[in-house]
Amino acid sequence: MLLKDKVAIVTGGTRGIGRAIVFELIENGAKVLFTYLKSDESAGIILDEIKELNGEAEAIKADVRLYDEAKRVIGEAINKFGKIDILVNNAGIVKDKALMMMDPAEWLDVINTNLTGYFNMAKACIVTMMKQKTGNIINISSIAGVVGMPRQVNYSSAKAGELGLTKSLAKEVAQYGIRVNAVAPGFIDTDMTKDLKQKDAMIKMIPFGRFGKPEEIAKVVTFLASERSAYITGQVLKVDGGLAI
Amino acid sequence: MAAISAKQLENELRLLIAEIVEIEPAKITPKASFVADLGMDSMMALEILASIEKKYKLRIPEENLAKITDFDKVVELVTKFTKK
Repeated sequence: MLLKDKVAIVTGGTRGIGRAIVFELIENGAKVLFTYLKSDESAGIILDEIKELNGEAEAIKADVRLYDEAKRVIGEAINKFGKIDILVNNAGIVKDKALMMMDPAEWLDVINTNLTGYFNMAKACIVTMMKQKTGNIINISSIAGVVGMPRQVNYSSAKAGELGLTKSLAKEVAQYGIRVNAVAPGFIDTDMTKDLKQKDAMIKMIPFGRFGKPEEIAKVVTFLASERSAYITGQVLKVDGGLAI
Repeated sequence: MAAISAKQLENELRLLIAEIVEIEPAKITPKASFVADLGMDSMMALEILASIEKKYKLRIPEENLAKITDFDKVVELVTKFTKK
């Protein structure tokens, strides 16, 4: 067990990559508090499944676009588990559209959820981690933030912003024993990508010839959260089947 | 936190801060600026906060970090959160 007795927070933990991360962390011995925005039912099902695995978890309905909500999540984690070892910023949305058709609200909504949400959570927990003199923040970005994707100026900008946040914060808090890294998934089989048009054409762009699985991202998160990556900080790990080589 | 006199609290806090900032306690005058006069950095401010929380079993919200600018402010903060 790579993360025995570690306490982890995962935002957006009920679906897709976030859900896989929650289970991967639990299976590696971590206690997990995950957030979700909408579905109480999905959160309940996940908590039941975790209980069957003899894991320890808590779910909180929270809107991480708001700083006060992020603070509430961190407060709950400390009340429940007494510390925070790992923060996985994952909650995200897409509102894909060509720039000429994208209205400002669609731009802002994606920026606020994907970028400001990551800032809010990092800010809300950083002093706790600094006092602990240890901590680990993992930002789930996207290959869209590395190479840019058409019809995704909002999403690509937010994801690129997360990489800047990762590198800047990594330098800022290394002296406190806190590591900050990002994972940039390529095309992954989730609800977010299931309705993509031209899926076959996209697969042809991937050297591995297939979309990735959420679990393949989750395993990289576990690596970054564990002592196996003790000397890695400020890095972006592309997990994309070779898409962005 | 067990009740202690204001004077005793000041003495304890002065020693605690002096140890973290690595200066003579006498140099920590009530209004001496931690940054400009005593060369304190943000990491030391955090260490002071964490040490105070541990010593007096308090929880001082992190929003108060920016208020740790001189000795008087520290005494004021600790007194305020001790009374809560």
